[in-house]
Amino acid sequence: MSKGAHVGRFIALTGVTALALTACSGGGGSSSDGDGDSGGDVTLEFSQWWEPELPDGAFRELMDKFEAENPGITVDLLSGPYASTKEQVVAGAAAGTMSDVVGLDGAWVSDFADQGAITDLSAVMSEAGYDESQLASQVQVDGKTYMIPVVNFVYPMFTNDDLLGQAGVTAPPTNRTEFADAAAKVTSGDAHGWVLPLSLEAPNGIQNDVMSWVWESGGSMLKDGQPALTDNEAVTSATDYIQGLWDAGVIAPGSFTMKEQDKVEEFSNGRVGMMIDSLAHVNLIRESNPDLNFSISAIPAEDGYTGERGIPYASWGIGIAENSEHKAEAFKLVEFLMSEETNSELSSIANAFPGNTTSVPDFVEEDELFGTAFEIYQSGFPANEFTGLPVAEQLMRDFGEEFQKALDGQQSMQDALAAAQTKWEEEF
Amino acid sequence: MTTLATPALTAERPALRTPPKHTGKKVAIIVALVVGACFSALPVLWMLSSSFKSNPEIFEFPPRLITPGFSFDAYTTILTDPTKLRFFFNSYVIALAVTALSLIVAVHAAYAFSRYEFWGKKTINVVVVSVQAVPPITLLIPYFGLVVALKLYNTYQGLILTYMVFTLPYAIIMMTGYFNTLPKELDEAVKVDGAGPLTALWRILMPISVPGLVSVGVYTFMICWNEFLFALTLTRTEDMRTVPIGIQLLMGQHSYEWNEMMAMSILGCIPVLLLFLFFQRYFIGGMTAGAVKI
Amino acid sequence: MSQTTSPEAEARPTKAAPPPGADSARTRTIGRIKRTLTPYGFLSPTGVLLIILMVTPIIMVVSYSLLDRVITNKNPAFVGFENYVEVLTDPVFFTAVRNTLVFTISSVVVHFVIGLAFALLLNSPLLGNRSKAFFRVLYILPWLFTVAIVAVLWRLLLSPNGVINYLLGASGITDGNTEWLANPSTALAAVTFINIWSGYPFFMISLLAGLQGIPRDLYEAAKVDGAGALAQFRNVTLPQLKPIIISMALLDFIWTTQQFALIWMTTGGGPINSTEVLSTFTYKLAFTEYEFSVASASAVLVLLMSMVLAFFYVRHQKARD
Repeated sequence: MSKGAHVGRFIALTGVTALALTACSGGGGSSSDGDGDSGGDVTLEFSQWWEPELPDGAFRELMDKFEAENPGITVDLLSGPYASTKEQVVAGAAAGTMSDVVGLDGAWVSDFADQGAITDLSAVMSEAGYDESQLASQVQVDGKTYMIPVVNFVYPMFTNDDLLGQAGVTAPPTNRTEFADAAAKVTSGDAHGWVLPLSLEAPNGIQNDVMSWVWESGGSMLKDGQPALTDNEAVTSATDYIQGLWDAGVIAPGSFTMKEQDKVEEFSNGRVGMMIDSLAHVNLIRESNPDLNFSISAIPAEDGYTGERGIPYASWGIGIAENSEHKAEAFKLVEFLMSEETNSELSSIANAFPGNTTSVPDFVEEDELFGTAFEIYQSGFPANEFTGLPVAEQLMRDFGEEFQKALDGQQSMQDALAAAQTKWEEEF
Repeated sequence: MTTLATPALTAERPALRTPPKHTGKKVAIIVALVVGACFSALPVLWMLSSSFKSNPEIFEFPPRLITPGFSFDAYTTILTDPTKLRFFFNSYVIALAVTALSLIVAVHAAYAFSRYEFWGKKTINVVVVSVQAVPPITLLIPYFGLVVALKLYNTYQGLILTYMVFTLPYAIIMMTGYFNTLPKELDEAVKVDGAGPLTALWRILMPISVPGLVSVGVYTFMICWNEFLFALTLTRTEDMRTVPIGIQLLMGQHSYEWNEMMAMSILGCIPVLLLFLFFQRYFIGGMTAGAVKI
Repeated sequence: MSQTTSPEAEARPTKAAPPPGADSARTRTIGRIKRTLTPYGFLSPTGVLLIILMVTPIIMVVSYSLLDRVITNKNPAFVGFENYVEVLTDPVFFTAVRNTLVFTISSVVVHFVIGLAFALLLNSPLLGNRSKAFFRVLYILPWLFTVAIVAVLWRLLLSPNGVINYLLGASGITDGNTEWLANPSTALAAVTFINIWSGYPFFMISLLAGLQGIPRDLYEAAKVDGAGALAQFRNVTLPQLKPIIISMALLDFIWTTQQFALIWMTTGGGPINSTEVLSTFTYKLAFTEYEFSVASASAVLVLLMSMVLAFFYVRHQKARD
């Protein structure tokens, strides 16, 4: 027995193991790759974060319906945690393994389009002869559609009627002065008037809870598609207003690391009087705290403002992968989700507003609260200027950092806006 | 013996009855231990308590340890969901496979480092230590491309090989240290009888290295059990995902299932805890040699 | 993948066992070659794995760092060290380096102090085996949880309406209104504290093992020389533990500089920049700004710094042999 033989045998053994591993994996890999080959049957991969958000099995049911209507197409639902969806799409696009159909957030669209990850839907739609007029909105980059919002979550103002009532506020505030007044009255002990999530991990608080004050009064943070944070009366007045609320101590503590998920728990527990929040939370709040008396109204606008109000919203959008080999089939799925009937159904189970103009979700008639929200939605216009902007999430984060500095007293709000403007200009 | 003022200084067997004059000291030690245990275990107690609460109760103020809504619902939900049970199964399969394979591969590398002088030893050593230093998040994209190209995407093998690569450096370092503490005469003796180095390694060194193997194994297991980012990126379908992903799937876009998250991590830690209880004698013995003389 | 220059690759020919030698000189030569190649044979599985799955992606990251707008750009151009210049001229990078150092060094030091204190307590001869096992299990708990849940748990505990504030407020130590994670002046300390909590058990276990491995006659000898308890600790315990302390500190240092998820999921690098560390800085470059080239440059800088550490580590190792 020589040493060489021993070592040789060991290496051989390792080699065999490695081969075995690769062989097994080859087998595993091909079973998922070979979908499109047999008899024209197509398997569409649909990666999204919606399935875990919806009632158990509800989304799969919709897919089953689609499969029944479209023999030969099966849908493979791939669900991931929302917070990691973006990295997964970026990595998938880089490696060419992206799913055929992907769930998208408006804030990512421009970046994915730049990367060449998602396909130009305008072309796909015209090829399919699709009637675009039924779509409530489309998210475009350079004049081409890359994402279609399937359902929209609007962000009205939630008020805790009991807290407000105890403080002597009888009706939800309708303008900024009333809001500040109500917030001050509610604030005492553990209760605070308003809750403002500014976490930098998920900086969408900037969009939903800060910029909403600008849009609500008909303002804009952009000018001709370019950032306009300075010399902008609407932005200045909104940020100064929030600074005023902050200095008055009516905002619940913990803002700088608070996330949307924390905000809703503060509200459910009756510790804040008012919050700007997604309608998606209505049922959650009801389940969490059945005794909580709350209502929904439009976000207060500037005093005396009478124009049309912008209502912040976030969407579950849909797009098709550039590397998909089944774009036509993928679009059938998009069409299905956007159809009047399916869209109504999906909106109903998601507590969202439909992306199809003709769809009406059930809850609007059945539920007074949603009815009110739908009225607010229809009387204003959906506003989310971050949608479709390049590196939108980074823009929110840049703004968030400067905004935090200003609230913390390290710089004036004016300097914060100027600094954010400089950062934004670099990103555009 | 009585001059031993600090507990540090003794390796005394507990066979001796504590003399009365030690009572004060013993009380002091126990008080210190309890204070320490508050630091380490109270947060976990809070996790346990939260897993029995309803979601709003987790946020109530002032907080209570046991609330009127006390229930096992979160546990029932998880244990009756086949998808989640599959996550547990996957985590076991992967963690156990990695632990076994990583140890086998590391033991051979460690044997080479411990028993041979060869050209490039130092360089290879630097490489082994420093590959751990690249932030995994920046490796994600090239690594993912590689895994797809090797057809390992969405397979157990992909994750197993990945975690082997992550845990090998530590395993090699610790096992090298362990072998260094074992006298070379041991394997020389076998070699005189004409046996090769593999025989020396497997017949002589391995059996007496069990403590070292266990300590490295437990570490490897923990790393695999808790890893999230690569587990998520390298798998695609629900039947391949692991417990940390299951926990994060409960963190929704709009709201978290706080109690289920807590329950799932409590359930996740129980097997590891049992493993530790079972192996702790070896574990604690094994770390010694490995770390003392790397 | 043509990593043919590696020693591992050279070792592979040993697979074919040479025929039995004809004359003794040849046998001896073959024997010497075999003896030379044997360690490479043992290292080959490790080598193959690390080269394919670790070194290759690292090389790709290094090459990304020299290109312009890789990933988002289909045909990236070679730009030399431009990305490095961009990283090194970014003031936030230095904030991140400073925070990383504060975070890492205090974590490692406190891991060591707490780990040693707990190990000393758990090693006390005054305790029975049962109570030792009981406390060991309690002390190991923080190690058993995935980082996402550690982050979520501590966000709950440290929230302004959390348990910690409640206890501190109720006992009158503070006013109970501290925003631990949301206040720029306490955030880094709070995050470091969480990391200390979740990371000390590993240190503790290793030191506990080290304590048990110290030969008793060393203490006996010290006692004969009249050394008191403190002197014994300083002259016997610490020197005996030094090798473990140094290796653990180095490994812990490397691992802690990589800590991303914990910080990201508790503070996101905020408030403002107060918990921005190298890993969150790099992550944001890659996944929110899509500057993969610049992110790669930042990663390579981290790698280089760690390689210096690794070099000292290996030298330290050699010195002890």
